[in-house]
Amino acid sequence: MPGIPEKPMEGGLPIAPEPVKPMAELAEGDVKVSPQALPIAAKELATEEVPADTAASIPVPTPPPAVVAEEQETMRPAAATIRLEKKHPLAIRWMHWVNFPVLFTMIWSGLLIYWNDSDNAYQHPHAVYRVGVGALTLVRLFPPWFWKAINAPYRVTEGLGYHFFFMWLFAINGILYVSYLLISGEWRLLVPERRSVRDAIQVTLVDLHLRKGLPPQKKYNGAQRIAYSAVILMGLGSLVTGLSIYKPTQVHWVTTLLGGYEMARWEHFWLTMGFCAFFVVHVVQVVLAGWNNFRSMVSGYEIVPAAKATLEEERSAR
Amino acid sequence: MSDGREERKEQEERRKWEEKKNRDDDRDRDWEREGERERRDSRAAESPDAGVRAESERRTRRSFLVAAVAAAGGYGFYRWIDRSPGDQLIPRPLRKMLDFNAKVARGVFDERGLAPTYPVNKSMELRTNGNYGLKMDLVPESYRLQMVGVEKAKRFPQYVDDVTAWEYKYAEKKEAGPVEHDTKVAPKAEAKVDPNSDAGAGEGPMMQGGPASTMVAGSGEKKEETKLPPAFEKALADLKKSQGNKRPRGQEEAGMSDSTLDAGTPGLLLTIDDVRSLPHQDLVTEFKCIEGWSQVVHWGGYRLADLIAKYPPERKPDGSLPKYVYMETPDGDYYCGFSLQACKHPQSLLATEMAGRPLTQWHGAPVRLHMPIKYGYKQIKRIGLIAYTDTQPDDYWTKLGYDWYAGL
Repeated sequence: MPGIPEKPMEGGLPIAPEPVKPMAELAEGDVKVSPQALPIAAKELATEEVPADTAASIPVPTPPPAVVAEEQETMRPAAATIRLEKKHPLAIRWMHWVNFPVLFTMIWSGLLIYWNDSDNAYQHPHAVYRVGVGALTLVRLFPPWFWKAINAPYRVTEGLGYHFFFMWLFAINGILYVSYLLISGEWRLLVPERRSVRDAIQVTLVDLHLRKGLPPQKKYNGAQRIAYSAVILMGLGSLVTGLSIYKPTQVHWVTTLLGGYEMARWEHFWLTMGFCAFFVVHVVQVVLAGWNNFRSMVSGYEIVPAAKATLEEERSAR
Repeated sequence: MSDGREERKEQEERRKWEEKKNRDDDRDRDWEREGERERRDSRAAESPDAGVRAESERRTRRSFLVAAVAAAGGYGFYRWIDRSPGDQLIPRPLRKMLDFNAKVARGVFDERGLAPTYPVNKSMELRTNGNYGLKMDLVPESYRLQMVGVEKAKRFPQYVDDVTAWEYKYAEKKEAGPVEHDTKVAPKAEAKVDPNSDAGAGEGPMMQGGPASTMVAGSGEKKEETKLPPAFEKALADLKKSQGNKRPRGQEEAGMSDSTLDAGTPGLLLTIDDVRSLPHQDLVTEFKCIEGWSQVVHWGGYRLADLIAKYPPERKPDGSLPKYVYMETPDGDYYCGFSLQACKHPQSLLATEMAGRPLTQWHGAPVRLHMPIKYGYKQIKRIGLIAYTDTQPDDYWTKLGYDWYAGL
């Protein structure tokens, strides 16, 4: 159809992090591609990893200049009111989605291992995985129907095998993720700020329909900053407690620092429960946030009002 | 002349028009796929917004395609692991990874770490958990510790030409001990079966396909009474007879050990007093079971390193030491393999006492192993044989899907 400004867009206008330039400037004068647009395009391709990636996977067909000229004639109307914001870098998207099945496998295989300790209830009810204080136990985890439902009984060796296989993927992915945050500066969008706590409370109240009016946010609001940073620390906690359970003699000082072997197991278990709780809240929030937000975790781009400030400022700001 | 030029021009224009039409058609088809909303947006509005949306759709389509391929790849990876042929009861990639992890652990820690020790008053009586190799009481006087692969073994008075000819004497259990293992199901109050006894020379319910292990897939739930076919029973009887009517070895779930000694293997037959002549040690450490539980236990006994120093392994022709040590119970039902280095660890203990008292039969009297750098399933009870070897020895629980290394 006419009216699709294919080339100028490739030239970086609507996708560009910079505020949208007036289209008129482009369309007027020469019918050929605006000389201003091309350098931007070249710069974008060279410096931004997403265009580089997409170019590598599926080459973008470049229409012949004649077509561009024809199409540009038809797009005299005003500038777009929306634009594409590059929200999630490619590396973060990959590591986020790799982490999902890997963490799931760790939790599932951990349950298969844990069943072995939980089930000997007739002689030695498990002391570690329970809710209680001192001698008072409110709940022992988990009830028999749960074990049956997830088909956990007598699969310990499978659980151990998977746990000690996928631990590497979990650790490597986590280390790469944190390294990327640090190197790219993306951590600035993630680490809680001074106002994050206040914002987080406000956001939570709004989410619970107790209050109206979200505080201004850029990439993440205060609650997100706190939750996402916390879950990264929890991942680190799982690695450390996991190591202290895995090699309690060789790294006994770590185990001792964590309060001993049983305590480390307790911590490892409740961190896992924390991941599960995070997962539930996270999925609910993503559903509530809608398609535009979810899509950005896959494609990297979110459709935002053209006037909205770009995230690049937040990324590069110090 | 001019006709020809015009014709060419016309053709050229026609070609251009067709190209453009093709492109437009393609795009139309794309929009069809995009769904009603997008098409309406792009046509009706004819605004730059539609272009932005189109660009978004294009990127989304591409990303979801990549995501789908990646997800399929991830699932394929999982299937590959899950469907791989088994290596000692777990898929080969998992087994390979366990071996790799062991290599990493050896490289990083070298099994040099010392387990923390505790005051005696923090210790408690160890749970009983598994009675493989202990189905009957061993007559203490008949106990000998076989040692194979000892350097210049002939110089020791305990040398014999065939250690396997030694006959251990068994008696029916006088005391069953606490019945604590294998309680994955509620114990039946009326049942008088003593799960520790199996007085019939180890041919009790576990051997008949009954619940043998708490840790292996499926086996704990089996309940059927296996009736062996007559031909098989006859063959078994013949086998027994040919072995001097000795009880066949390897009568538990994992079966016969591949590392068990051939008849006619020379070595030493040590008495318990030979073991007791080593310097006595006390050790209070945390015992850790791979099932997940742990207990601080007070052990008394003798350093395995001291035994090895007294009866050192024979060097290979190139002067190096054999890499491994193999141990098994006198009846060969339970067996473990170790690296020589793990056995030389200062906390690897030949335990003869627990909680300040001599070991009971159900805890592996007269000598069991305590090794705080390994899980409990490596800490073999009632050690009948210690053999130096250069090939990685068979291991009971490894055969049933567990890690051979089991290093803590």
